[in-house]
Amino acid sequence: MKAGLSTSLVLHAALLAFGLFTLKAPSAHDVGDVQAIPIDMVSIEELTQLQQGDKKAPKAEKPAPTKTERPHTVPDAKTIGNNDVDLDDVPKPEASPRKIDTASAPKPEPAPKPEPKPVEAKPEPKPEPKPVEAKPEPAPQPPKVAEAPRPTPEPAPAPDPVAETIASAEETPAMEFPDELPKPVSRPEPPKREVAKAEEKKPQKPTQDKTASTDQDLESILDQAKALVTKEKPAGGGAKRSEQTASLGTDRPSSAQKLSASEMDALRQRLAQCWSIPAGVDDAELLKVSVRFRLDRSGELEARPEIIRGGASSGPGRTAAESAVRAVSKCAPFNLPADKYETWAEVVVNFDPSDMF
Amino acid sequence: METLPLATTGGELSIWELFWQAGWVVKLVMIGLLGASIWTWAIIIDKTIAYGRMRSALNRFEQVFWSGQSLEELYRTLADRKTTGMSAIFVAAMREWKKSFEKGARTPMGLQMRIDKAMDLALSREMERLESRLGFLASVGSAGPFIGLFGTVIGIMTSFQAIAGSKSTSLAVVAPGIAEALLATAIGLLAAIPAVLAYNKLSADAGKISARMEGFADEFSAILSRQIDEKVGQKAA
Repeated sequence: MKAGLSTSLVLHAALLAFGLFTLKAPSAHDVGDVQAIPIDMVSIEELTQLQQGDKKAPKAEKPAPTKTERPHTVPDAKTIGNNDVDLDDVPKPEASPRKIDTASAPKPEPAPKPEPKPVEAKPEPKPEPKPVEAKPEPAPQPPKVAEAPRPTPEPAPAPDPVAETIASAEETPAMEFPDELPKPVSRPEPPKREVAKAEEKKPQKPTQDKTASTDQDLESILDQAKALVTKEKPAGGGAKRSEQTASLGTDRPSSAQKLSASEMDALRQRLAQCWSIPAGVDDAELLKVSVRFRLDRSGELEARPEIIRGGASSGPGRTAAESAVRAVSKCAPFNLPADKYETWAEVVVNFDPSDMF
Repeated sequence: METLPLATTGGELSIWELFWQAGWVVKLVMIGLLGASIWTWAIIIDKTIAYGRMRSALNRFEQVFWSGQSLEELYRTLADRKTTGMSAIFVAAMREWKKSFEKGARTPMGLQMRIDKAMDLALSREMERLESRLGFLASVGSAGPFIGLFGTVIGIMTSFQAIAGSKSTSLAVVAPGIAEALLATAIGLLAAIPAVLAYNKLSADAGKISARMEGFADEFSAILSRQIDEKVGQKAA
C-alpha cells in the first residue's frame, strides 16, 4: 500500500506542479470596441412618414437638410436649414425712398460729420416734426428740444435725417418734392438761417436719409422699428439655404401629420361597434355607404353626417344610410389626438359590412 | 497538497488564485476531494500491482501443482512460507488433512467436510484481502461529483450574496465567484472519474481471480476426497 500511496502522491504533486506552470489565467477575452447601439421605439406613424428630402440623393449616414435654390418662395422655411435664426419676415426690396434721396443729394464733399450734428441741425427738426403728422419717431423729441436747444446726442439722429432732407429739399426745392415743401417752410423761419449754414457743411446726411419726402407711409417706418427691435436684417427664409447635400427622402413636405394606422384602426373599430347593420338585406352592396362628417376640436360632430356615396331614398339603401348616420352620431365624441386635428377635422368613413368586420 | 503553498504565482484568475479566494467551506471541499483523489490513485496503483502479482502467483502455483510433484513435498516447502492465493488454500487444506490423519480420522465424511470448510475459509480470507479498499473507489466514484457540487453551490451562494452586497450586476463581479465555485465541481469530477473506471476494472479482475481460486479449491477438494476414499478403502481392506 505504501508504494501505491507514495506513487499517487508523487503523481498528484507532479500534476499540480504542471498545472502551476501551465494553467495560467486564460487570456482575457478581448472584446473589440463595440459601440452601443441606441434603440428607439418607433411608432408606425413615424415610420410611414418619410423624412423630407431629395428622392435621388445618395444614402448618407447623416441626414442632411435639403438644399433649395429659391429659398424665398418656400413657405415653411422654419423647419429645415442651418441658419442660426429663423425669420418670419419675408425679404423685401430696399425701400425706394433711399435711392431717391441719394439722387437728391448731389453734393460730393465729404462733410465734417461731428460738427453739424450736435449744434445746428437740431433746432431744425423741432419745428418740422410737427408739420409731419404721421411720423412716430420725431413726435417724442420735439418737447425735449423745445426745452433745451441742445439735447442729448441720442435723439439727434432720428430727427436729423428729416431736417436735413428737408433742408436739401429746400435747396433744390423745385426738383423733386414740391408737395412737401410748403409745410416746413411756412413756420420756422428763424431756424432756417441756421439750417442754411448747416447745409453748406453737411452735404452727406441727406443722402443717407430716406424719410424726407416719400417715406411718410407708415409701413417703412414700422419696418425700421422692427429692424431695430429684432436687430436683424429683415430678410427671412434664409434657413432653407443649406450647403449640405440633401438627404434621401420625399419631396413632399412632411409637415402635415397623419393619423397613424393604429389610430385609424381605433376609429374604424369604434364605428364598427356603434354600427348595427340592418338585418334581412340580401344584397350586401346595398349596405355600402360612405359618410362624411366634420368634427370640432373636442371630437364632437359639428353637423349631421352627410351621405356622399351609397344609400338610397327608399328601401334597404335608405335603411343602410340611416344606420350609418346613426352609427356616427351614436359614437359621437370621438377620442382622437388633438394635435392632429387638421387630419380629422373632416372624416369620410366607408361603411361596408365586408370591411368593418 | 504539498504543492498548494506554491500557489502564489499565476494571474488574477489562475486556478491557484481561484483556490485561495474561495471561502473556507469550498476550500475544505476542494482539499477533501484532492485527498480523495490521492487516496484513490494510491488504491488503484496498489491494487493493480497486487492483482498482477496474484495472477503470476496463481500461474506459478498451478504450474507447480500440476507438474506431478508430490503433494506432501509441496506442502512441506510451502508450509513455513507466507502464502497467498491458491497456495494459501492448498496449505489450509493440507494442514487440515494432516491434522486429521495424525490424530486418526474416524469418518471420511467428517474429514471431507472439514477440509472443504478450511478451504472456503482460506478462499474468503484471500478474497477479502484482494477486494479490500475497492469500496472506497466506489464511494469516491459515486459521491465525488456530489461533494464537488456541494462546494459549487456553496461557492455560488456566497458569491451571489457578495454581489447582492456590492449592488452591481456586472459580469466581472459575478464571474470570479462562479469560476472559483465551479473549480470544486471540476476537482470532484477529476477524482470521481478515475475512481469509477478503476473500480469497475478492479472488481472485474477480482472476480476473475476469485473464480480461478474457487475452481482450484473444488479441484483440490475432489482430489483429496478421492484420496480419502482410497485410504478408507485400504484400511477397510
